[in-house]
Amino acid sequence: MLILAVDSSTPVAGAALVDEDRVIIESFTNYKKTHSETLLPTVNRIMRECDCSISDIDVLAVTAGPGSFTGLRIGMAAVKGISMAADKPVVAVSTLDTLAGNIAGSDALVCALLDARKNEVYCGFYEVGGTRPEILKEPMVCTPETFLNAALELAAYKHKDKIILLGDGYYRYSEYFNIELKDQLLPMPGHLMLPRAAAAGILAVHKARQGEFEDVYHLRPLYIRLSEAEYRLGKGAV
Amino acid sequence: MKDILILGIETSCDETAASIVKNGRHILSNVINSQINIHRQFGGVVPEVASRKHIENIAVVVDNAFKEAGLGYNDIDAVAVTNQPGLIGALLVGLSFAKGFAWALDRPLLAVNHLHGHIYANILEHQDIPFPAVCLVVSGGHTSLLHMKDINHYAVIGETRDDAAGEAFDKVARFLGLGYPGGPAIQKAAALGEAGKVKLPRVYLDKNEFEFSFSGLKTAAMNLWKKMEKNGEPEVSDLAAEFQQALVEVLVEKSIKAAKLYQVDSILIAGGVAANHHLRLLMKEKAGQENIKVFCPSLSLCTDNAAMIAGIAYQQYITKSYAPLDLNAYPGLLSL
Ligand SMILES: [Zn+2]
Repeated sequence: MLILAVDSSTPVAGAALVDEDRVIIESFTNYKKTHSETLLPTVNRIMRECDCSISDIDVLAVTAGPGSFTGLRIGMAAVKGISMAADKPVVAVSTLDTLAGNIAGSDALVCALLDARKNEVYCGFYEVGGTRPEILKEPMVCTPETFLNAALELAAYKHKDKIILLGDGYYRYSEYFNIELKDQLLPMPGHLMLPRAAAAGILAVHKARQGEFEDVYHLRPLYIRLSEAEYRLGKGAV
Repeated sequence: MKDILILGIETSCDETAASIVKNGRHILSNVINSQINIHRQFGGVVPEVASRKHIENIAVVVDNAFKEAGLGYNDIDAVAVTNQPGLIGALLVGLSFAKGFAWALDRPLLAVNHLHGHIYANILEHQDIPFPAVCLVVSGGHTSLLHMKDINHYAVIGETRDDAAGEAFDKVARFLGLGYPGGPAIQKAAALGEAGKVKLPRVYLDKNEFEFSFSGLKTAAMNLWKKMEKNGEPEVSDLAAEFQQALVEVLVEKSIKAAKLYQVDSILIAGGVAANHHLRLLMKEKAGQENIKVFCPSLSLCTDNAAMIAGIAYQQYITKSYAPLDLNAYPGLLSL
């Protein structure tokens, strides 16, 4: 099963070709350029480099959020266009799951954190004893303090000595987390800290096997947060 | 020669639209998903909400454009998309979708300026517009006068210094509690009232004969309304009628003045405000007195649509002016 995975949900732009459990090629760019300019050229480049045409692809994977609203839509709109034109099914992978997918075979509590601005983080909580992250708690958006309390509570309940924090949400508040967690924090090397399209692709293989495909006509990003205007209206999503 | 079929995609504001046009002339389908009812509860277009609706609706809208035309995705020759000007988040949905669609079909991508599309809406419906012409572009974001040699060559001879005409309609309508969008709301209220019962200024800006300014008129209308309310028994329809009259008179007078100065025989009206009945009527009446012909798109092509995008892109297809895959979207107008 050959999967083309794209991720533009954070400042990182990623694209990868994954065949079952093998990553064939991956592009990871954490550099200031807009995703709208780079995403399709990147996809085009990695496909060419591997002598791959769109007809060779079995499944498309996209990180569906949470993340930057605009970034999420750029990736999802492109994937919708490709999916319709090439008649390929789509698997959506949570950006937080993708982050947690960077770690495996650990006893630690893994928390994926994305900077949500406004002094908040999107966060997901995982166990990663096997090769795939297992979700422990619904993802949420909250202050770093609220997140930390939830993480500590969960770690105690699950008898986990160590906590791994991943994502740009960690970088944003690293000073605070380092002080609060001290030795309980298990630091990870930089190449595991941000979402990788390859990880999204690997997770997508599993979802595709389970038949977890999306309806491209109605697929929408997982924002978690309402828009400002909807929030003010106080009625939920319009 | 083989027929050229172009898919157009438009998401610059609050309409998700897709259309297939043959040879730049024949509209095979024209699908529009309007979000007006959603934005009405906010009193205007909310950019983030618009972007969210675009990503939800884009695939269905595009698919319907093919169904309505009775075509398969592979039948098209190119994909045209609006990449400026507009709400950036909204533009990016259409642009990204168009890129993915064009890339996967291995068809060229064509980048379209939304306002060029509005102007082209006239060409879609009127086969033989005599050029050169003067074109009045009036929308929520723009009020400009163009001197056009032909559809592809023109110069801007005047613009608004402050509010666009459509923007003034929206702001005054909101102030008067007439609702959103402002153009149709004021037109409706004005139909029940009478212009001239109350007086508003006509702003001509004597020194710059083809420039516009509507912010003064807007403020005058708001101040007058406050005064009318204070004096008791205010008639909102009379104020709406006078406001519409004051705005339209200036648009018409300047357009005709430009047509005479540049010695052209036709005036085109383009953009959302081109749907205003009073503007259409008064322009035709006054221009008729000078033997100048007036062209405006039918109402359904005045508001945002993708047929105008697919239509104008035909010329780019013929000249192979393809857009690269790293094409970006731009909120502001780089050049008209
Ligand atoms: Zn428009």
